[in-house]
Amino acid sequence: MSYIIEIKHITKEFKVLNRHEGLKGSLKDLFSRDYRIVRAVDDISMNIAQGEIVGYLGPNGAGKSTTIKMMTGILQPSSGEIVVNGQIPYKNRTRNAKEIGVVFGQRSQLWWSLPLVESFKLLRDIYEVPEAEYRAMLDLYRSLVDIESLLHKPVRQMSLGQRTLSDILAAFLHNPKIVFLDEPTIGLDVSMKAKIRTLIHALNREKQTTVILTTHDMGDVDALCRRIVIIDKGKMLYDNDIEHLKRFFGSYRTLKIRMDGDLQQSAEAIAQQMPEFRVSADTDWISVLVDEEQASVMAVLARLQERYRIRDMQLEEISTEAVIKKIYEEGTQ
Amino acid sequence: MHRGLRFYFCIYRKILAQDLKSKMSYRADFIISTIGMICTNISGFLSFWILFQNFPSVGGWSYYEMLFLYGFSLVAMTPVQCLLDNNWSLRYQVFSGDFVKYCFRPMNLFFYYQSEVFDVKGLGQMVFGIGTLIYAWVHLELACTAWMVLKLVVYLVSASLVMAALQNAAAASCFWIENSFYLLDLVMRFKDYAKYPMTIFNPVFRFVFTFVLPIAFIAYYPSLVILRPEAVPLLSWLSPLIAILLFYLSYKIWMKGAAGYSGTGS
Repeated sequence: MSYIIEIKHITKEFKVLNRHEGLKGSLKDLFSRDYRIVRAVDDISMNIAQGEIVGYLGPNGAGKSTTIKMMTGILQPSSGEIVVNGQIPYKNRTRNAKEIGVVFGQRSQLWWSLPLVESFKLLRDIYEVPEAEYRAMLDLYRSLVDIESLLHKPVRQMSLGQRTLSDILAAFLHNPKIVFLDEPTIGLDVSMKAKIRTLIHALNREKQTTVILTTHDMGDVDALCRRIVIIDKGKMLYDNDIEHLKRFFGSYRTLKIRMDGDLQQSAEAIAQQMPEFRVSADTDWISVLVDEEQASVMAVLARLQERYRIRDMQLEEISTEAVIKKIYEEGTQ
Repeated sequence: MHRGLRFYFCIYRKILAQDLKSKMSYRADFIISTIGMICTNISGFLSFWILFQNFPSVGGWSYYEMLFLYGFSLVAMTPVQCLLDNNWSLRYQVFSGDFVKYCFRPMNLFFYYQSEVFDVKGLGQMVFGIGTLIYAWVHLELACTAWMVLKLVVYLVSASLVMAALQNAAAASCFWIENSFYLLDLVMRFKDYAKYPMTIFNPVFRFVFTFVLPIAFIAYYPSLVILRPEAVPLLSWLSPLIAILLFYLSYKIWMKGAAGYSGTGS
């Protein structure tokens, strides 16, 4: 199988000046040659196939942007090999640019003073999109979102949501093989987020475009990504399916029940009865963290019902957010 | 990827047309900036005129010769003002990280960046400059032959290239230096001296303006070819070549800076 993006053991190091504090320190820095090497990306390898949507996650400063910059050809890796679309991005920056689309959450790449449709026409000329394909693309856009109201509006008059939407449409316009989306839903309201996720999903499906998505919003991940890659401190922590991620931490579900009487006491009693599960109580609910490899939630519920009068119950899946948080905090070990 | 001139010309024309359209839609802004431009030029001319009310000649140059130099430098600055005005905001864009957006288009980065801004005000300056040139031309009783016009055009173009080179190089310094504004500002301030004949400066400044900050090539050396054809220094004849070389170097510096640019944190 051939991949559209192949990354083999890339590392990126930056030389950073050791800064001193205070005014005196600043003066010292002026003449200082006291550098240290910071490894922003440390031996990362991955292969991405055509048509995948990959969620590229990591806490702030993990090295996500640096990796994306290497994939788009803005940065050259210190070592390792990276091939995008059969080419080395850094060496063929402009040629690589023709096959990719890039969206940065808060930075519009459209012409600020032009109406959207004029930006589209310019992009059509720059990327040399044949007229028929351009029209077909616009028709596709029309079928996915309401763009008529946006087409004749100058970009600078748009809301952040409209601008992001426009930027995403612009990035897909030349039917690139890969689109990089850097925090596309940052700062947007709930309905706009949903709209944008639907749009990305549809464009990926229609055009088989590979999408690399960095985000801090787990809603984006749940809605779009089947595969996720997590890095922290430049090192790869995880690269696999999103379902696998949850199993990776055991198949836990939280059973929450409500009953009469003192919840704290009941919780202690349940904990004695089922020492294999973690039981806790707050003012409204008793929570039982059930490891489904040991017993099914239904079996646990049945056992509880024999002894208590359960008035209400809830079942909580472990959220992607919780898993990711756990990985950020504890790693995969 | 190598794209032909035709491609770039075509793209530029389209961006320009759109840009003008959107500028016209802000009528008040357009009118005010036009008035501002006219006032700037009139005041520049006025101080020039006052100077000559008191001194009959400057450094052996007559009023009309000086006027020619003045008009020449105005016209020569027009392309820089109109086409390369975005150099002024390069610093902000590089500092804030917005510059990274220019790096993802499949075309020449320098072209793409500069194409985003076209300063219409420069055209007014050109009209003013041409008027001054013709006025001086007539009063100096210069011949109006094809040869003279050709010389004028060639030397105007080379003067523009020198101007552009200085601005490019100064602007590109922001890729390496954080506070590059002072450098750009410095160059633009010194460019005002281009309106005067180099003979008025002492040898040290003459050397600086010829070999370090070559503003003498903006108006002085090229004008000599037309005004003083009997005693033209070698540097005047060479100024078209020097101009092309300087522009090419400044372009390379600019592109080198841009190629090394990798944006801010995220």
